[in-house]
Amino acid sequence: MNKVTNINHAIVKERPVTTLDQKPARAEGRKDPWSQLLVKVGKDQDRQAYHSLFEHFAPQLKYYAMANGMASHAEELVQEVFVSIWRRACLYDWQKAAASTWIFTIARNQRIDMLRKMRRTSAEMPVETEDLWQIPGEDDNQPITSLHRLMSERRVRESLSQLPEDQITVIAKVYMEQKSHQMVADELNIPLGTVKSRVRLALSKLKVILQDQNV
Amino acid sequence: MTRHHPDSLTLMEYSAGNLSEPHALCIRLHLDKCSHCRSRVDTLDSLGAVMMEQQPKVSVSETMFDDILAKIDSVPALEQPTKAVPKISLLQKLLGEDINNLPWKRQLGDVSVLDITEKFPGQKEQVVLQKLVAGGKAPAHTHRGTETTVVLQGAFSDQKGVFNQWDFVVLTDQDEHKPVAVGCEDCITLSVLSAPVKLTGTFTRMLNPFIR
Repeated sequence: MNKVTNINHAIVKERPVTTLDQKPARAEGRKDPWSQLLVKVGKDQDRQAYHSLFEHFAPQLKYYAMANGMASHAEELVQEVFVSIWRRACLYDWQKAAASTWIFTIARNQRIDMLRKMRRTSAEMPVETEDLWQIPGEDDNQPITSLHRLMSERRVRESLSQLPEDQITVIAKVYMEQKSHQMVADELNIPLGTVKSRVRLALSKLKVILQDQNV
Repeated sequence: MTRHHPDSLTLMEYSAGNLSEPHALCIRLHLDKCSHCRSRVDTLDSLGAVMMEQQPKVSVSETMFDDILAKIDSVPALEQPTKAVPKISLLQKLLGEDINNLPWKRQLGDVSVLDITEKFPGQKEQVVLQKLVAGGKAPAHTHRGTETTVVLQGAFSDQKGVFNQWDFVVLTDQDEHKPVAVGCEDCITLSVLSAPVKLTGTFTRMLNPFIR
């Protein structure tokens, strides 16, 4: 496991999530080494920082592309994502998203874009991928507090380590292999209801499910 | 404040990038006005990042970093993105018109529709805008396949409750309802129909999701 995880675990032990105030969340943000590097790329066009990010994220991204059935375009996707990281690093705000989350959303959008280009019909679609799937921190309307985003990042890592393998397997297939819940059910040869309940259990741990929210 | 939200599993498929463009559009329109769901999506995006981090790694070609540097050096600074892009709304960008000035096609009674499927080439779903005049009633009907709807203007009510602007609702063939436009504005919705609709039988009947 890498540094980020260790730091996060240390902080979680010190202070339970529910009693966190703004200060430790900010401190944590500063400690996330990848977010720090990304800020340097944005501010100073720091190529050394950029290279460190490349070393860390490129092999993840390549696997992501390959797991998605884009084996023959995997390197192309990694390249495009990194060119995009360089160009938009100036828009990156560590208070709004951790670097890993920001990079994940760029990779996701790049994949959608590449698939769109591959199946392009003669007609153009009037809306672009980024109109439909935004990169966190780049939408200015009602920005979410940094506190929330940083907490969610840490909470996800923490909660995920406690989830049973069968729940993680299902989530991995949705995120890494772009499988619908139905496709996951077919592949694992289990009922769709079971897939959905596994995902729901996992998401309630991650507090994505509404139960605890006042809406 | 919206009260009807997309379900967590749908948001997860959105965050993973697995939804079709029309479905993503419904989610996006809702997210723009719902901070609650935005924060759920933030968490899900983080989940995606953590999943990616925990998967195997595959080494990339040795020359790739240099190739990338060559690429970024060949792009003039002028093309760098800036934040100050004047924003037109997503709907306006899609429709090219104010929503009330569209070439609506009057169907039965209080209902008008506009099929905008052609805005999404290469998609399997049918995408339609529907308008119910203020105070108007749509006849009782069920749905074919799954219909995902987001309210763009005004509000409608049925036996399940009141659906206000930016509310999100999924109806299946199990749901029979009889929507009424409430409030003083025409109620306009965007709907995505998952089952491809075959234009057999009466054209109008099939085309109009409010009345099937």
